Amino acid sequence: MGQSRIWGCLAATALTLLAGLNSNAKSVSVRDMLGLLPVTSQLGGETTRPLADGDAFSFQAANAPGKHQRPFSFGNRLFNTNWVEAPASVKSFDGLGPLFNRPSCSGCHTKDGRGQPPTAGVGPMDSMLFRISIPGVGPHGGVKPVPGYGDQLSERGILGVRAEGEAAVSYEEVAGRYGDGEAFSLRQPSYSIGKAAYGPLPHETLISPRVAPQMIGLGLLEAVPAVTLQALADPDDDDADGVSGRLNKVWDAVHKQPAIGRFGWKAGQPDLLNQNAAAAAGDIGLTTGVYPEENCMAAQAACAAAITGGLPDLKDEFLEKLTLYTASLAVPVQRGAGDADVIAGAKLFRDFGCSACHLPALQSGDHRLPEIANQVFHPYTDLLLHDMGEGLADGRPEFEASGSEWRTPPLWGLGLIAVVNGHEMLLHDGRARGFAEAVLWHGGEAQKSKDNFRTAPKNQREALIAFLKSL
Amino acid sequence: MAKRAKIWTALGVAVLTGASVAEAGALKSFAPIDNPQMILVDGEGGEGGGEGGGTSSDMMYALESTDATAFAYDAGPQVAAYIDLAYKSYEKAADDAATMEKAVDAFLAAPSAETLDAARKAWIAARPAYLHTEAFRFYDGPIEAVEGEINSWPMNEAYIDYVEGKPDAGIINDPKISLDIDMLEGVNQKQDETNVTIGWHAVEFLLWGQDLSVDGPGNRPFTDYIAGQGNNDRRRTYLKLVTSQLAKELHDLEEKWELDEAGSYAASFKALPPREAIGRMVNGMAILAGYEFMSERLAVALDSGDQEDEHSCFSDTTKQDFVHDLVGIKAVWDKAGLNALTAKRDAALAARVDGLFADAEMKIAALGDPWDKVLASPKGSPARNDAEAVVVALQALAAGLKDVGSKLGVLVLIPSG
Repeated sequence: MGQSRIWGCLAATALTLLAGLNSNAKSVSVRDMLGLLPVTSQLGGETTRPLADGDAFSFQAANAPGKHQRPFSFGNRLFNTNWVEAPASVKSFDGLGPLFNRPSCSGCHTKDGRGQPPTAGVGPMDSMLFRISIPGVGPHGGVKPVPGYGDQLSERGILGVRAEGEAAVSYEEVAGRYGDGEAFSLRQPSYSIGKAAYGPLPHETLISPRVAPQMIGLGLLEAVPAVTLQALADPDDDDADGVSGRLNKVWDAVHKQPAIGRFGWKAGQPDLLNQNAAAAAGDIGLTTGVYPEENCMAAQAACAAAITGGLPDLKDEFLEKLTLYTASLAVPVQRGAGDADVIAGAKLFRDFGCSACHLPALQSGDHRLPEIANQVFHPYTDLLLHDMGEGLADGRPEFEASGSEWRTPPLWGLGLIAVVNGHEMLLHDGRARGFAEAVLWHGGEAQKSKDNFRTAPKNQREALIAFLKSL
Repeated sequence: MAKRAKIWTALGVAVLTGASVAEAGALKSFAPIDNPQMILVDGEGGEGGGEGGGTSSDMMYALESTDATAFAYDAGPQVAAYIDLAYKSYEKAADDAATMEKAVDAFLAAPSAETLDAARKAWIAARPAYLHTEAFRFYDGPIEAVEGEINSWPMNEAYIDYVEGKPDAGIINDPKISLDIDMLEGVNQKQDETNVTIGWHAVEFLLWGQDLSVDGPGNRPFTDYIAGQGNNDRRRTYLKLVTSQLAKELHDLEEKWELDEAGSYAASFKALPPREAIGRMVNGMAILAGYEFMSERLAVALDSGDQEDEHSCFSDTTKQDFVHDLVGIKAVWDKAGLNALTAKRDAALAARVDGLFADAEMKIAALGDPWDKVLASPKGSPARNDAEAVVVALQALAAGLKDVGSKLGVLVLIPSG
């Protein structure tokens, strides 16, 4: 078949090039090496599935071994479980709250997909949350919690426990023009917290609004060797390409030691086990072996007095299955990869400089789940922190990440959010209504790439978006 | 696909080995190679799109071989028979749902214990024909766009109507919400995956109510539907809306599988490269058997022991679901001629898969009923062991179908090994 011949040929070419590099060049950067990998429509390597419908984010890696199917399905069940207040008839699934954002993982990551800001403009929000803190450095080098509230606004509470407050989101339209004179408008968000229930919020409270990201391919990202990320990082921009890329250094609550950050909008969590345990505690109010204490602040007496679902609410066995699930969701295949506009868009994506951070290819190393180990895949991220400018800044540092730095988010699956979740609200807080606005919000290290897009002819802008939608 | 991956892996090893060497040394200047073809391989290099010439998702399942004759066979009769089977299956499902709708109409016209019972019987009678069509899922067939509106579960009942301890719960008991089918479709699974508002299990819940006992199904009183009382009128409207919608959706699917219908899915299916069509057929069967049925509906319930994980929990007809899902898979094997096609190429394999079907059939027949009673029994009990035997039988069947795929030159995407 034609395709495979092309791939085989390209792989051979790449190997030849590598051989050439190894003999001629003094040294080659990991970035250059990764740039030699063939980029295909199999965005998740062998985990990829041919899916493009409403369940496109919900299937197990295509190459998973049979013995992982049952824990995956149970993990899916846990992901969809609506946790209930303790005590309940089903003992394994009680222990919601006392304070929480949503009662299930899928409440925010609906159909394993992407959240959006509240359409009404006020909370309690369904698939977005506010991280909060006050200036300064807190435990383990992380954020300093807001006294009386903690580091996340809980907009819901079980019966008898007051929610901490209510998020408010409003927008102001800001007009702009493309290079060819065509007008566009971006909506500049403002965030505040109302109905503060546990004393006045300090004046200096910092708010970082975050939507729930799609769940696909996360294990592949976890399995990228730390050495690769360290090599990709260019904190001082030694290669003078205007793009730095920094690693976040965060706290690993499982192993109780510092670690490289990978997950979350500012790479605040080192791996999926930590991410899941933190989300269970912070978002749903479930205790785990990692976070055995209910998420109640000193002033929240009713919270502390509430009945628990047993210790912990989420058993280790369940947390492990949940983690297997979140690590092995298949990445859907790229659609229309052979279409002329998609091919043109892919070239522009490189020429505009987008691919400097949204790296087209990464390679995973060893992992306890064989289905995600040693894969070449195409997430369009470098997993590093980049300064995105004042426009996108949340002003809330998290470990090493500054108030204007964000981790490059993967772009795979973006074109399917409309199908899975029925919207195209993009960026960390869903402020962008579609792909063009998302690009136009880029600043800081991405300013030049954004300007390239903004000043490009309309047909090129459309091609770039066609490419992004194919992912 | 496996072949490509091996190339990648080899390349990847080379990259990482090279990288660690390079990074260990001092980073010197290096002129990056301008290498545009590496950015996007598909469609470039002169042969883009591959056989079939369309997007990559048009060609997913056909395996490759260096032996040009390896997979040379005529699949025309199988493809034609499959289209015919799919059409007739959806036709029957639509007809039976229409019959159910009539019984629901009769119940709403004169609510009584008898008419409610007749409506429930009509729901149970309409299920098998739908379950047979589940073998046409799990590739990009027409069902995929609407499956969430037809058979979503498990559901948060309290999103629709009252439940124990919450007498005012649900859309039905909130008169501020104006009831119409567009609204119900619009909110289905939107705020939460379990916030199901339409489909088979919504109708089931409206007819039976919550199943609060281990021995019998739900026991909603017919008086919930006497006009003019409480929110009964809203409940009546809701039931009528979702029953009609279900019948309509199934009728639409029937039309999509009608070969004579211009632009129908059946017509595009017929035009597929034959092995791509065979690939969809086998994947639909194997993923239903080895994933949805075995894992999502059977093993998850066994692992959680929660009645909520029972597929048709309100009516306690989950065992009927199991039986008829297998009937549907078997129908594709026999009636679409995959059995005969496989036998021609590997008689022993076809016979083995026949045996796997028979074994699964027998093990399912031996399952306890109702299913929630099985879930309530302790681990290691005979009832649970019987259920675990079904899990094993379905895994074996799915693995057998994967072997059929290999023999017919198609990739089957189910976990195995």
